[in-house]
Amino acid sequence: MVHAAAATHSHLLKKDHLKGFLRKLAKEYRLVAPVRNRHSDVLFTVIDDLDAAEIELTEPPQNSLKQFFLPQQERLYTYTTTAEGYDFQPVQATIPPTVYFGVHPCDLSAVLYMDVVFSRHQRDPFYLRRRQGSVLIGVNCNSPAPNCFCNATGSGPFLEMGSDLQLTDLGDRFLVEIGRAPGQALIERWQVFFSPSADKDRAAHYQTFLEARGRFSRQVHVEQAIRQLEADTVPEQVWTELSLRCQDCGGCAYLCPTCTCFTISDQQLDDAGGQRLRSWDACTFAGFTAMAGGHNPVQAKTGAIRQRFTHKLRDDVRQNGRPSCVGCGRCVGICFGGTDIVRFVERACQGSL
Amino acid sequence: MAGLATTFGSGAMTNSINEIENAEVILVSGSNTTEAHPQVARRMLEAVDRGARLIVIDPRRTRLAECSHLHLALRPGTDIPLLNAMMRVLLDEGLADDLFIEMRTENFLALRDMLNRLDLAETAELTGVPLPLIRQAAQLYGRARKAVICYCLGVTQHVCGTENVQTIANLAMLAGHIEKEDTGVDPLRGQNNVQGACDMGALPNMLPSYQDVHNEDFREKFERGWGVKLPEAPGLTLVEMTHGGAQGSIRGMFIMGENPMLSDPTLSKVEETLRGLDFLAVSDIFLTETARLAQVVFPAACFAEKSGSFTNSERRVQMVRQAVPPPGECRADSEIIMELSRRLGYAMEYDSSGEVMEEIALLSPIYGGMHHDRLEQNWGLQWPCWDRNHPGTPFLHKYYFTRGRGHFMPANHTPPGELPGPEYPLLLMTGRIYHHYHTGTMTRKSERLTRECNQAVLQINPLDAKAQGLRQGETVRLVSRRGEITLAAGITDQVEPGMVYTTFHFAEAPINLLTNDAFDTGSRCPEYKVCAVRVEKIMDS
Amino acid sequence: MPQPIADIYLPRQARVEQIVAENSQIATFVLAFCDRSYNDGFRYQPGQFMLVSMPHCGEAPISISSTATRPGNIHLSVRRAGKLTHAMHGLRVGDTLGLRGPYGRPFPMEQLAGRDLLFVAGGIGLAPLRAVVDTCLDQRDRFGALTVLYGSRTPSDIAFQGDLELWRKQGVDCRLTVDAAEPGWDGPVGLVTALLDDLAPELDKSTALICGPPLMFRAVLGKLAAMGFGDHQVLTTMERHMKCGVGICRHCHMDGKLACVDGPVFSLAELRKLKILELDG
Repeated sequence: MVHAAAATHSHLLKKDHLKGFLRKLAKEYRLVAPVRNRHSDVLFTVIDDLDAAEIELTEPPQNSLKQFFLPQQERLYTYTTTAEGYDFQPVQATIPPTVYFGVHPCDLSAVLYMDVVFSRHQRDPFYLRRRQGSVLIGVNCNSPAPNCFCNATGSGPFLEMGSDLQLTDLGDRFLVEIGRAPGQALIERWQVFFSPSADKDRAAHYQTFLEARGRFSRQVHVEQAIRQLEADTVPEQVWTELSLRCQDCGGCAYLCPTCTCFTISDQQLDDAGGQRLRSWDACTFAGFTAMAGGHNPVQAKTGAIRQRFTHKLRDDVRQNGRPSCVGCGRCVGICFGGTDIVRFVERACQGSL
Repeated sequence: MAGLATTFGSGAMTNSINEIENAEVILVSGSNTTEAHPQVARRMLEAVDRGARLIVIDPRRTRLAECSHLHLALRPGTDIPLLNAMMRVLLDEGLADDLFIEMRTENFLALRDMLNRLDLAETAELTGVPLPLIRQAAQLYGRARKAVICYCLGVTQHVCGTENVQTIANLAMLAGHIEKEDTGVDPLRGQNNVQGACDMGALPNMLPSYQDVHNEDFREKFERGWGVKLPEAPGLTLVEMTHGGAQGSIRGMFIMGENPMLSDPTLSKVEETLRGLDFLAVSDIFLTETARLAQVVFPAACFAEKSGSFTNSERRVQMVRQAVPPPGECRADSEIIMELSRRLGYAMEYDSSGEVMEEIALLSPIYGGMHHDRLEQNWGLQWPCWDRNHPGTPFLHKYYFTRGRGHFMPANHTPPGELPGPEYPLLLMTGRIYHHYHTGTMTRKSERLTRECNQAVLQINPLDAKAQGLRQGETVRLVSRRGEITLAAGITDQVEPGMVYTTFHFAEAPINLLTNDAFDTGSRCPEYKVCAVRVEKIMDS
Repeated sequence: MPQPIADIYLPRQARVEQIVAENSQIATFVLAFCDRSYNDGFRYQPGQFMLVSMPHCGEAPISISSTATRPGNIHLSVRRAGKLTHAMHGLRVGDTLGLRGPYGRPFPMEQLAGRDLLFVAGGIGLAPLRAVVDTCLDQRDRFGALTVLYGSRTPSDIAFQGDLELWRKQGVDCRLTVDAAEPGWDGPVGLVTALLDDLAPELDKSTALICGPPLMFRAVLGKLAAMGFGDHQVLTTMERHMKCGVGICRHCHMDGKLACVDGPVFSLAELRKLKILELDG
């Protein structure tokens, strides 16, 4: 929660001093930020050499923070099966305290959503050991990318709360807002980098926000699709069409910052044992729900696609008051069949506008 | 390969894959694109979203066929009459591109005469596709400004595979749908780097870069480069080697990354041949069915464990970079070859794949400007790329065909090598599914992919299933003149009555025990797509 | 410092103490945790399930077929279906397997107190209901009349024969039917729904508990509705593919509900609000 005082209390960080500030952070934390690599791809990357890394704060990174908290594949246990019995040994993992720097509002919202998923019914030890001790430094989006629609999902382009520190690019400087106590601590610890903000800085911040809001190239009527799902008025034809077009690649779920479905499986390593793995899964795969013996309780033709969008846009709204789609647009870019969430929203709303 | 080479002079996609997105009409023949080439299907669907018309020629109602505007469900093996009928419509309705034919092609009169003798109604009858549909397809294709034809193994794996391809080329030339961006004829390659293997002369009659082994100048160039005398006659084709080993003249064999014990037709003959060899060595990343028969097995490195380049369907040569070291004793294929060659008395000393590439550039004109430092940039280069300054070629045959003029090769219907009859009343087609790759050597070791699909399924129409009293998922016996297998029945109207369909990925249901080794006289490609079978219910014991 | 978080995915070792072959496909495994003190303190309720680990097979959810009123052991009745259950059928007394749980929402025994209970099951479906029947028998005066209708494919497929025998002795009205008779069978032949024809339950004090394959399930629902059972008077337990068991992995999704935490026990009234294949198909 944003502390009442902190909300009005903001600072300035000159861009010239950003690297210096990050260098201080890197002494005590592992540093993860969006970095442009030599193939020109922007990816959240662990930064070992701050001087060699080209940190990119405008173009959205291709990956989200999901992989850092829920790795694509994670070893949970090793197991042995011997004459004495069948036993599991926990895998020790030391997760260094990490600063995630330059996180866009969509990806920040996604982390907040994951926090709920992994602690609502039960506290998930593997997620939380990675999440605890992490510091999130967000950066607001001044110029949304072509596939972005976070304005329609309530998760951008600017975020008021959720991060530890929240940066806004004001040209030669960042306006820095304190979100939570760890952010406050960072500012106090390295206050030499920061100066107080003035009214004109806050005015510039607001102006930047207004301009960013006007820069979305897509109008995605997420709210309306949510109402259609809740009222169960999405035409059957829409599900049939999208299911026919879905090529079952799972790309949407893998790239999605809030798709957290996983599977647990064993990998035999030798006669005496193996390892138990947790890995990403996708509800669009038929094998996701098929039971031993082959029976699948999910309707083969349309059930999987229906689940994907209904979960994100109806069930999570019921549970959390907001959709778990954060409008990052990654699935729009990756989808093989043109069955991404934007397509769904458009098709669901056709004829009802 | 052979089909396009004789008509256009070059056997590869004439377009880039991205160009498909911009076509106005896409004609897909014999390609289950969404399952076998999803990255290409993605472009087709993108084009459809932009307003393109999609025509699918396939005996089965594939997912792509369901997404199409026009599905021509032809009888298997009747591609030539279907395409001839379309061409006749083009002629009759004045949709032929006369200027293109005049300026860029030869032998048109032979085609015209053949088409004019065609009885349209009779031809349509033969294909099983209603004539109005054929007419509609021809009109759509003929009137488009930008049209591509994509085809795959459903066209080539027939006794008349070469003629099928030539007929596709005829259609494209007749409509003038070649030589332009977003317009052309695109064979989709079945495997990663199969294009590269062909480019590098892994063909019986070609030296690298399609330089004919009969040509003395070409031979001499390579002899100078390699310091050895080269044979003047073409080698043997795959099926000649694996089916009888050319009547025993082959005594030893070295097989790299192929699994003929699952992938070649009439497996019993393959096994007999391989077992009859004096010596068999196999190099593969896993111990395949074929490797099990070998005296020596070389554990090979996989794609992520070595560096070099691959050439894909659209003639694009791209770098692959080693991500992890090979495990255990595994080595890159090139290292295995070099080491073997050295011990056989011919030292190949290349320090890197880049050095090999330099030799390729030296001896293979279409790769003339391809060097690793250039390939590193962007997404590689598309051949032909003649020299260091050449930007590569996104689409082929601009201004002139590789062979000069495009050559019309009229063809008539050739029935499949085997058709259903009283004893074997069903027509079996084979193909692939989404979750598995070829003989499953790699994909069946993936936990996730086997979860999605772990058994061979025989697609059978509800009417045929009912006649046999089959239940969904029931294990049935499938029998041809050459062998029998058991697999699960998948009752679906994706296949017409009288046809069944399955895949060749599963060693426990090796479909190529059943398939026919009749092959195409042009390319020597076996007729995997058609043979006669019967389905037997397995009685409860 | 953050609090240490319980390792909820860690299976505990349990030993097979006894194996009862129920029929050619179903066996009941009598298990106890190797850690005696954990075993002594282990509590669960009828309708809950365990996640079973077998070497190299991962985990599968198996409903508990015993009652917590008889502590000391957990019974898991298992039909051969996939890789893991096949491996279980290879277990011998003294072997170990991995267990975690119990998970899921149990049968609402408090609400069932004082009511006549009508159990309708097919095949392995009797396993979770067996836990309820035995719980009722151990607290006999809390519950009304108990009736068990049980369908099997053939007489030799009839599982839980020992239990059925014991239940009869304790006054449970047990009625069996088979799909196909064999020599020596003189009982009814046909669907389990036909057995309902012979009953005259007191509707205002009866609740039906159903578990069986989808076809049987739908047929029984139809019949019960015709007899006048309200949707609140029908309870069932749903079978789904599961991985985590704790409401995170979502393999067991049911139109917004999760079988592992919102179920597996549901009333028909609850299920009617969901789009699920069991009711639509």
